[in-house]
Amino acid sequence: MNKTYQKKHELWLSITFASFAISDEEIKSRLYDFAQIAFRHMKWLGSDILAAGDDYNYDRDNHLYKRSTVFEIIKALQEEIQNIQASYPQTPLAERIKTDDIYLLEYLSQVLKNSANNKEITAFNMKREWLDKNLAQDQIDALTLFLFDESYKEYELILVYAYMQARTSNIQQFNVYQDLIDESHFHLKSFGNMMAIMGILALPRELHEMTYIVKDLEQFIVDGIAEEEAAKIMCKELSDAIKDEELSKFFDFINYQESYHIELMKKLL
Amino acid sequence: MYEDVIIPEGVSPEALKHIMEPQNYGKLENPNCIGVALDEKTKEYVIFYTILDGELIKDVSFATNGCQDTVVIGSMFSEMIKGNDLNYANGAIAKMHEKLGTMTAQQQVCAEIVFTAFIASLKNFENLQNGQEEELHILKMKESCEAENMPKEGESNE
Repeated sequence: MNKTYQKKHELWLSITFASFAISDEEIKSRLYDFAQIAFRHMKWLGSDILAAGDDYNYDRDNHLYKRSTVFEIIKALQEEIQNIQASYPQTPLAERIKTDDIYLLEYLSQVLKNSANNKEITAFNMKREWLDKNLAQDQIDALTLFLFDESYKEYELILVYAYMQARTSNIQQFNVYQDLIDESHFHLKSFGNMMAIMGILALPRELHEMTYIVKDLEQFIVDGIAEEEAAKIMCKELSDAIKDEELSKFFDFINYQESYHIELMKKLL
Repeated sequence: MYEDVIIPEGVSPEALKHIMEPQNYGKLENPNCIGVALDEKTKEYVIFYTILDGELIKDVSFATNGCQDTVVIGSMFSEMIKGNDLNYANGAIAKMHEKLGTMTAQQQVCAEIVFTAFIASLKNFENLQNGQEEELHILKMKESCEAENMPKEGESNE
């Protein structure tokens, strides 16, 4: 299987979760933009691999930069980006990817030049608290389990829909998959940042091919709609359980988004 | 020893450890048997990779698209049986069944799908030893965690 694709997949996750881990809003936002670019790299690399008659999978090495300072995370990212350079092929796409990576490396160097950026990382401290919210332990527990379940689910949906999008020639299906991918990116970002606030940031576990190689699209969609319904119920239960107006409204908002996902998925039938 | 095993409930530090970094998770290089347990209703599955050396379980790993309870139990169970023999694994399953009596019906189904996947891998090994060509062995679950009469957390299972 294609190792460049795997490394890009890992790099996308590394940049994404570095963004979640760092609390400085400007660095967080810039890194998230770069993560989205890395995801597009992954998508384009996948297209080229398929066009060449080869294939890729979602195997990856599990690792997360559980570092204690911003600079430690940034330096680890720099190293990973430098290490991937030699594996890019000699193609116009690879040239584009390399220039993006060089610009990201330049940005990371700039961050390192300002010692004021080197703040403590609290995303992995396991404190499970939300400082400006008065949540009881049972609410914290419910929120914890929800975030682990749903961050995995959003990661899974992003990759499953991307896998199917790369293999369809139907324009409507392509567009629906894109919408669903975009929506799941937003949900993953929201949940990842919440996990970091609570000190429980962790990578979603790896996807097995039984999850993303879909043999029966119609059955997959029917099952997917049932899963969205289940996610809606979880959101509603969490919204009811959390005695904080801001968080409760957020989960209602996610709940309504899941409703529209079901409508999008129906278009695939 | 498995006699001392404590099934983590809710969001205990032990459960969190397994949720955040599940042990023995993912594919195993060169397994000599593979088993799958499948819940046809929810499409939830657990796949178990096993390397057997006679009676010794040299290595195991698992993967699932299931919920956190499945991940926690898969992580714990795989840690328990890895490096032990089949007799120990059977004892561990029986012991964990006893402990599961205190858990919700849904959690019991999650545990059952993990054990069934391991048993399916042993069946795959047996079939291969008997000369059958079988990439992996699939066992379908009798109980689904979406069964209509499944009690919810906090409700009695009896």
